[in-house]
Amino acid sequence: MESKQKLEQNKQEQSTSVISKALFIGFFGGVFWSFIGWGASYFSFSSISPASFIIRSWLNQSWTDGWLAEVISIFLIGILSLIVAIAYYLFLRKLRGIWPSALFGLALWGIVFYVLLPVFPNIAEVTELTSDTIVTTVCLFLLYGIFIGYSISYEYLDSVTKKNV
Amino acid sequence: MKNKPENKPIMTDINDVQTYMEKKVGVGTSFDVGFREIILLKQKVQLYYLTGLCDTAIIVELLKKLTAINDEESNKTELPAIIKNRLVHQQVEKVDKFNDAITQLLSGLIVIFIDGQELAYVVDVRSYPGRSPKEPDTEKVVRGARDGYTENIIENTGLTRRRVRDERLRNEIIQVGQRSKTDICISYIQDIADDGLIKTIKKELKKIDIDGLAMADKTIEEYLVKQGVNPFPLVRYTERPDVAAVHLFEGHVLIMVDTSPSMIITPTTFFHHVQHAEEYRQSPTVGTFIRWIRFVGILASIFLLPFWFILAVEPRLLPEALQFIGPNEVGNIPLIVQLILADVGIEFLRMAAIHTPTPLSTAMGLIAAVLIGQIAIDVGLFSAEVILYVAISAIGSFATPSYELSVANKISRVFLLIAAAIFGVKGLLISFSLYIILLARTKSLNTPYLWPFLPFNGKALLQILFRFSVPMSKQRPSIVHPKNNYKQS
Repeated sequence: MESKQKLEQNKQEQSTSVISKALFIGFFGGVFWSFIGWGASYFSFSSISPASFIIRSWLNQSWTDGWLAEVISIFLIGILSLIVAIAYYLFLRKLRGIWPSALFGLALWGIVFYVLLPVFPNIAEVTELTSDTIVTTVCLFLLYGIFIGYSISYEYLDSVTKKNV
Repeated sequence: MKNKPENKPIMTDINDVQTYMEKKVGVGTSFDVGFREIILLKQKVQLYYLTGLCDTAIIVELLKKLTAINDEESNKTELPAIIKNRLVHQQVEKVDKFNDAITQLLSGLIVIFIDGQELAYVVDVRSYPGRSPKEPDTEKVVRGARDGYTENIIENTGLTRRRVRDERLRNEIIQVGQRSKTDICISYIQDIADDGLIKTIKKELKKIDIDGLAMADKTIEEYLVKQGVNPFPLVRYTERPDVAAVHLFEGHVLIMVDTSPSMIITPTTFFHHVQHAEEYRQSPTVGTFIRWIRFVGILASIFLLPFWFILAVEPRLLPEALQFIGPNEVGNIPLIVQLILADVGIEFLRMAAIHTPTPLSTAMGLIAAVLIGQIAIDVGLFSAEVILYVAISAIGSFATPSYELSVANKISRVFLLIAAAIFGVKGLLISFSLYIILLARTKSLNTPYLWPFLPFNGKALLQILFRFSVPMSKQRPSIVHPKNNYKQS
């Protein structure tokens, strides 16, 4: 009986550490990939930069075009990304391999561009975006999804079975 | 191949032994199989050995001792025991099966048959032709140990043992190859390395059923990791005993194959290939600096050319500060063709340099660098910027510590370039995503190839981005699943 209890205790500890790891993965993933997104928008691969979502959608001042706005938005995306990571951890952490997380990234793109975009008045509808912008953002969301999903499910599986995915 | 030859017991009559040896090993036909018969106490004793692999001085010494039996001994019935006593060597073994004796003989040991006895004595008088330990060309350091592994597996275990005097270091030997009978040694530290990994490796090695392993380590690698068409190196090689010892302490499993100086380090990730012993010979800050410069070089060797190409063909992408980028005049041939041609040219140079004798390579470098580069611009074949960027990415791939990785990166670069040329920005981005996904999907012995970046592991990634001082890095990397997580308390 006692040994069983001990095991339970271990399990508890494991899962909390996986959650904290998942949160860190979420933050880092958000910052890293939105930074890449900033780079892509700097070179006009995409007309959407991190700041056009996060800041310019509700603030219309001249400084929001500068780099400071981008840095703040990248940080904010890191925070928002925590929610994404928690969502993945809660619902999808048991899926193996990278394809579920790739689909997760694509779904995330769909939600952001079809559900959230119409809410922001300053960004054009999906149909009005250039094809380059669409491809760039899809690729970024795909890689972001894989980063979040694959890392979290790997951490989870590693903690449960001590075996690799 | 499948049916192993029967393992006959050794015959009593020495004449039968001789005929058998003549038929089986080709004594008398193969000139490198030596044979000597001596008479001891009126009984025939035969010695078989390989002339190329034995130390003559020891054989002569043994013969002296044996022939002295005739002068000093008289008890005929005790001859085998007397002979064994007189074999003045620390490694004497008794065998009673022919195949065992023959395998030993062909490994360079001397086999002694005695008339009327169903046994043979095997003495280890091996002396393999080989070089002495020398600093490996591919892993030079400014300071630090200058010894390197050689082609001799025994010397190699010795070089490792010099650095790991742990009683828990295990060197397990198995023989692979029906005809080559190559020795393979699996080295690990028993209470650190992951049992599952050791088991997998042993299982894969035992499954190999091939006649010979002439290309030693490379052949073994292909059986272990199931490469497929993936060009990326799935194991790391090292010829440095200190690097090998560091990995043993971290919980990696090493595989050494006789006749090759390259140790296979398993499991390996992409980021094992971007590290170099030199970083650990310098102070942590300098090591980190070297590493970052190297990362820039490696990234440039993959992404610089495709990225510059897309900016050059679509100048609208350029931000104002970078408007100077891109060729000023339209060349005579399309940019993509120029880039591919220049890249192929550099590849010519690299390949030629591998097998050109040193006196000629100076002349070759001169022709390639001075003549072709400048003249190609003058006649209007290439634009100057093409040469610049191709050269930078070529230098970047030379700065990659792992030769295998640099070639794989070069192939990926050409793919990215072609995708960018056909589909523009979209092609570049999609092929970039595919590149990351393909790498992330790759696994080497169940280890995700892009770890610790993808799947992400913050602590381990920090260890790769920064070269921490040794007192500060207390944990072993989790990817090898060590049984004992701490290197120091």
